[in-house]
Amino acid sequence: MELAYPPFETRDDAGNPAGVSVDLMKAFGEYAGYEIQIENTAWDGLIPALQTGAADLVISSMTITDERKELIDFSDPYANALLAVLANEDSEIASIDDLNQKGKVVAVKSGSTGHMYAEKNLTEAEVMAMPDESACVMEVSQGRADGFIYDQLTIYRNWQLNPDTTAAVFIPFQEPEKWGIAVRKGNQELLDQLNAFLAEYKENGGYDQLTEKHLAEEKKAFDELEFQWFFDMDE
Amino acid sequence: MKSLRKLFWISEKEQAGWAAVLMNMLFVVILWIMLFWISLNAIQVRLDFSFLGQFRLRIWNGFLTTLGLSLSSLLSSLVIGMLCAAGQGSSLLVIRYFCSIYVKFIRGTPLIMQIYLFFYIVGTAWGVENRFAAGVIILSIFEGAYVAEIIRGSLLSIEGSQLEAARAVGFTRRQAWRYVVLPQMAARTLPPLTGQFASIIKDSSLLSMIAVIELTQTMREISAVNFRLFECYLFLGVLYLCLTLPVSLISERLERKFHYEN
Repeated sequence: MELAYPPFETRDDAGNPAGVSVDLMKAFGEYAGYEIQIENTAWDGLIPALQTGAADLVISSMTITDERKELIDFSDPYANALLAVLANEDSEIASIDDLNQKGKVVAVKSGSTGHMYAEKNLTEAEVMAMPDESACVMEVSQGRADGFIYDQLTIYRNWQLNPDTTAAVFIPFQEPEKWGIAVRKGNQELLDQLNAFLAEYKENGGYDQLTEKHLAEEKKAFDELEFQWFFDMDE
Repeated sequence: MKSLRKLFWISEKEQAGWAAVLMNMLFVVILWIMLFWISLNAIQVRLDFSFLGQFRLRIWNGFLTTLGLSLSSLLSSLVIGMLCAAGQGSSLLVIRYFCSIYVKFIRGTPLIMQIYLFFYIVGTAWGVENRFAAGVIILSIFEGAYVAEIIRGSLLSIEGSQLEAARAVGFTRRQAWRYVVLPQMAARTLPPLTGQFASIIKDSSLLSMIAVIELTQTMREISAVNFRLFECYLFLGVLYLCLTLPVSLISERLERKFHYEN
């Protein structure tokens, strides 16, 4: 995983990997009798890590997409998220269509689903791929970019951190993205184990504990804004 | 038998013939490719370069941008480097310390930090909006410090007594510089300066951090969408070699040429 997305994948104060995904994997380790070793890997290198066998599993809040499915296999979805826009205060963006105009600059994190969405749908705007989130937020708050497309939680947080320079647009403009755990293509045995574990974990209320432990504040904010919660799956 | 031996062996005084050079080079290159191929097979990765055609225009534009960035930065870093090398010898202390602190700061900190700091703080404060321009400025300031050290080093290596000797045999100060110091300086700075140009070309790849659409950023963007990471970076390496290999060949040539003249 890439330890750059609190509170899902991050480090605690002592520098150890921590977060929702870390706890979920530890629980899987106990369930299936594996010793889990976490490797912090840059986002662009996650899929290659699976392909080359450097890692057995990737859990990094990764959305299940058809393009990725051609290269790796995904478990059943365990969470879902919606994209949102962090807009510059002065750029008067009220919807995704306002962003898809000639002369508008859209910042995205390289390789994220926001990046793919922008490449596919925002054909009029100029899409600018940055290596990390903080650079994207900087671009928007300084007015170099008009908007930054990422998931709702990150957008919400950065909007709270920069209330004077940014505005947030939460109107959903696509279907919820489903996050899955990835394995190397054809590793059916591990995939079956994962899916059995995820079903049991849900049954036992594991996600509620995760929410309680890592995401209590966010849950409150999401409820107020009437957003769909990460672990509330449709089915 | 003897001619066959000549294809593989060389004594200290001989120069390798064309056939020998070509054959051995080819042999080494094939060895490297084979090693790489075996590694790729060991991790079971299939390479597929077919997507390159689809993106050829973007890649070409990125290539040109990298070339433009490097050339502009080379020119302005030369100016900065010469001024700074002269400044470090200035008798005005403020100028001397300004130059020496600049060189120490730039050479002592990573380029990536300078890129972020300059672009988001200085650049924003002073209204540098254009990313290409910002990239050239940052890269020139960075490489200028190294150029300054190259020039200062070669100046120091020329003994002061030479200047005195030239004056003693009746050269004017100007003539002494023109006929004694400058030719030696050219011989000592040109080869490392050409090498520095190769560094500039490679260092420019870090400007992808602030989304200057140069070669590396283009490849990052492409690999982010199609996940062909290995293919993209392999091809990226080939393209950079197309730029840096000729430069390092020229550097080697210059080194040999001035070596004889001295």
